[in-house]
Amino acid sequence: MKKLKPLSRLLIALSALILISAYFVPLWQIVMWAPQYPEGLTMKIWIDNITGDVNIISALNHYIGMRHIEVSMFPEFGYMIYIVGFVIGFGLLVSILNRRFMLIAYALLLMACGIGALVDFYLWGYDYGHNLDPTAAIIVPGMAYQPPVIGTKQLLNFTAFSGPDIGGWIFMVSAALAIGVLIVEIYLSRKKI
Amino acid sequence: MKNKILIGTAGILAAFSIYSCKPKAPEDATTGDAASRVYVAPGKYDEFYNLVSGGFNGQLSVYGIPSGRLIKILPVFSVFPENGYGYSEETKPMLNTSHGFVPWDDLHHVAISTTKGEHDGRWVFANGNNTPRVARISLSSFRTEEILEIPNSGGNHSSPFITENTEYVIAGTRFSIPMGNKDVPISSYKENFKGSISFIKVDSSSGRMNIAFQLRTPGFNFDLSRAGKGPSHGWFFFSCYNTEQAYTLLEVNASQKDKDFIMAVNWKKAEEYIAQGKGTIEKANYAHNVYDDKKHSATSTILNEVKVLDITQFPDIVYFIPCPKSPHGTDVDPTGEYIVGSGKLAATMPVFSFTKIQNAIANKEFEGDFSGIPVIKYEAALHGEVKKPGLGPLHTEFDEKGNAYTSMFVSSEIVKWNVKTLEILDRVPTYYSIGHLSVPGGPTKKPHGKYVIAYNKITKDRYLPTGPELTQSAQLYDISGDKMQLLLDFPTTGEPHYAEAIPASLIQAKSLKIYKIEENEHPYAAKGEGQTKVERKGNEVHISMTAIRSHLTPDNIEGVNVGDDVFFHVTNIEQDWDVPHGFAVKGANNAEILIMPGETQTFKWKPLSSGVFPFYCTDFCSALHQEMSGYIRVSPAGSKTPLKFSTGKVENQESGAGK
Amino acid sequence: MKNLISLVILGLILVSCGPEKPKTEGESQEHPSGKDAVIENVDEGKGVGQVKEVTLNTPLEQERIPRGKAIYEMKCQACHRLDDQRVVGPGWKDVTKKRKPEWIMNMITNVDVMLDKDAEAQKLLELCLTRMPNQNVSLGDARDVLEFMRQNDGEK
Repeated sequence: MKKLKPLSRLLIALSALILISAYFVPLWQIVMWAPQYPEGLTMKIWIDNITGDVNIISALNHYIGMRHIEVSMFPEFGYMIYIVGFVIGFGLLVSILNRRFMLIAYALLLMACGIGALVDFYLWGYDYGHNLDPTAAIIVPGMAYQPPVIGTKQLLNFTAFSGPDIGGWIFMVSAALAIGVLIVEIYLSRKKI
Repeated sequence: MKNKILIGTAGILAAFSIYSCKPKAPEDATTGDAASRVYVAPGKYDEFYNLVSGGFNGQLSVYGIPSGRLIKILPVFSVFPENGYGYSEETKPMLNTSHGFVPWDDLHHVAISTTKGEHDGRWVFANGNNTPRVARISLSSFRTEEILEIPNSGGNHSSPFITENTEYVIAGTRFSIPMGNKDVPISSYKENFKGSISFIKVDSSSGRMNIAFQLRTPGFNFDLSRAGKGPSHGWFFFSCYNTEQAYTLLEVNASQKDKDFIMAVNWKKAEEYIAQGKGTIEKANYAHNVYDDKKHSATSTILNEVKVLDITQFPDIVYFIPCPKSPHGTDVDPTGEYIVGSGKLAATMPVFSFTKIQNAIANKEFEGDFSGIPVIKYEAALHGEVKKPGLGPLHTEFDEKGNAYTSMFVSSEIVKWNVKTLEILDRVPTYYSIGHLSVPGGPTKKPHGKYVIAYNKITKDRYLPTGPELTQSAQLYDISGDKMQLLLDFPTTGEPHYAEAIPASLIQAKSLKIYKIEENEHPYAAKGEGQTKVERKGNEVHISMTAIRSHLTPDNIEGVNVGDDVFFHVTNIEQDWDVPHGFAVKGANNAEILIMPGETQTFKWKPLSSGVFPFYCTDFCSALHQEMSGYIRVSPAGSKTPLKFSTGKVENQESGAGK
Repeated sequence: MKNLISLVILGLILVSCGPEKPKTEGESQEHPSGKDAVIENVDEGKGVGQVKEVTLNTPLEQERIPRGKAIYEMKCQACHRLDDQRVVGPGWKDVTKKRKPEWIMNMITNVDVMLDKDAEAQKLLELCLTRMPNQNVSLGDARDVLEFMRQNDGEK
């Protein structure tokens, strides 16, 4: 039963606690620029909601047969608050119970959440970009409009960017803290041996 | 530790990518010496007149190119309180229709008259899109001289395009409707709704218009059109959409077919049929309004029949050519050989060959028929396709070097390509969402080239903001070199649709300076102060008044009662350039009138209360402009105040002015 | 040197800023040199313009009088009375006795230049405070108006 350094416990608690901010700031953002939208159209994804120029984006996308983006499209919004809550609780538990194997589990959990979110986002994007209304006014043969998972992509006249927003960055900092603490712990314990 | 650095770096890179993927800022887009190329020094003239449709303001505006300066707004289909158009008794009949007085319309397109396919600078034609009308505006007086209503039309969008020698002006219906204003269920579209295309004959000397004949077509929508020229003279090409024949949610239901049509009309053939006495006369009510610049008055006549050729009965007049997805612009190049179809929802842009169309007709290379009209095989008519031109191609103009310029609404750019090789040569962004575009002389056989002007649908951040309602905008590009160069942004009034630009040298010298007072035939003109008078005819009071710097005669009028109709017929007896006078009366439910030198205009006023009402000249005319005024006394209804009028006569030495 | 240059420039300006002379018609006789003629004209009280010499006949040319009267009523009456009373412009009574016929015709046909250059015309502007408008009267019509004025002044 390997125990953790006090500083490590503190940092893990911090890693868990900063995730609380995920309930109050947007996690992800999609920005789209077009010649006639030099200021960009922004869509912000929160833990349980979507905000920003969603209606404008939907109105534009309907010409090419994409569905109207609505909260009800995302069952994730129903349970994400619980997942994040569980992650926070687990992190605090690691800090309190002071067990290294639990820290490993916590780090893995954080990474799994990140990867899981990206995969989930990709699957949604694929469906949203490919599953088009066959009666759409503009049909460009062979063209699909899947948004980028991360980074930028040209979609007809729009340049679309997808990337983490404040919450996403905090999530990454949280994961970096957990993984960093784990690496340092392993490094120090090997040095002892 | 290393990992931390790695993650940190990745984070920074990702953050950086948010900013780096912004499109290039518009400020970078102009070239260094753009300012000097659009600068027209004070006292100097622009090289081109740019006659720009005002869209929903119902007017035509005149800009100078290359400066982009707004020179004048000419009222056409909308009342214009600034000069009394549609308010003065003389101009009210111009806006008469079979529906009565219609004070507004949506002016979309312009066509400058041509002779042998080249600009002749005589008139400019304009369409009224809402209540179907065609107007002719003089390019010497810059006034609307004639407006002809179009019967059996549901919206005059495919108009007023002209043939090579201005033989005909075209008016193609945007919406099909039941003919003869029939009361039928909307769902009986296929059975009852028809399209109609009017061929309006233009008198070659007076410019007077009359509907020579109408083509009756199956029910769908006509969008735009262009006449053939050179070898294709005698033909007219129309873009058609909604061949699905939808009557609801056209956004979806009229966008289903992969191909709609370009309709090729052999109008010389139609003329022959008419000459042979073919066709039927149908009842139709429509107004024909003409302004007489000797009488300085318009008359409105309601006409009641029109000659009709049903194209399904005369199958060799019309052929359909398939064209991808809802074609908008159909534009004929200066040689007359190539016809460009712009499918606004299509991914490629077809260019048809007139020679191939003729061969296909001769060899009967048809793929079937639509309502009995032969449909030419797409490949048989095709010269070639412009591949990946951009998104949302709308309109094409041409230069004198064999290049075409196509506006791309969705991708907001102008794309330059070679008409013969179909090769894309250049593209420039527009700000934002370009609709029409104009190259001086672009639709003629001899383009003047030099510039292309973009007329945009969205303005956004290009000017200082003015609340939710912003100005509209245009952009000027130099096309004299291989690459198009943005030179200038300029704001426009109303919503600019199509525009034409013409060298100033073709118009400038002919511009009228004054109306000759000797030639004034207005029935109430006072050609000299000796002819001024006030007459009562029942409860109408007619005042023949003169205006000259700086007094109105008569300027003291009495004997008018509440309830009278008072007509001020004001004649400007000046004969010098740029000395208009204006006229307005306190409390009148009317706009002012502006009277040009030598002209008579009538201001109608129905006084609703008694008292003494000042009137004055509203156009600052001279040093003593503020003195150019008078009084009219209004007595209670039924009063017996004697009719009196004078100028400069001082009756009461005690209280009156002067000595 | 500097003075010489400015002199040349001044000379150029003088030459170039002169009004473009309209072509003379039958009514007037041409003087050999335009510039001299203008100065000469002013000196003689004939005003500035293309009318250099008018031949007056006695008795009056009767056919001109009704034409002149019609033009008066259409284009002049608003400002000029036939008596000696000034309204906007001076009354016409005795104008043919006070002014040379050339001056009158130049004033009618070339009013903008007259108001800029002719001292007598400028005096009238100071008096009346309203610039006499150019009423687009042709030389022939102005001659008719002149005959009408002579009749108004009692000539037979």
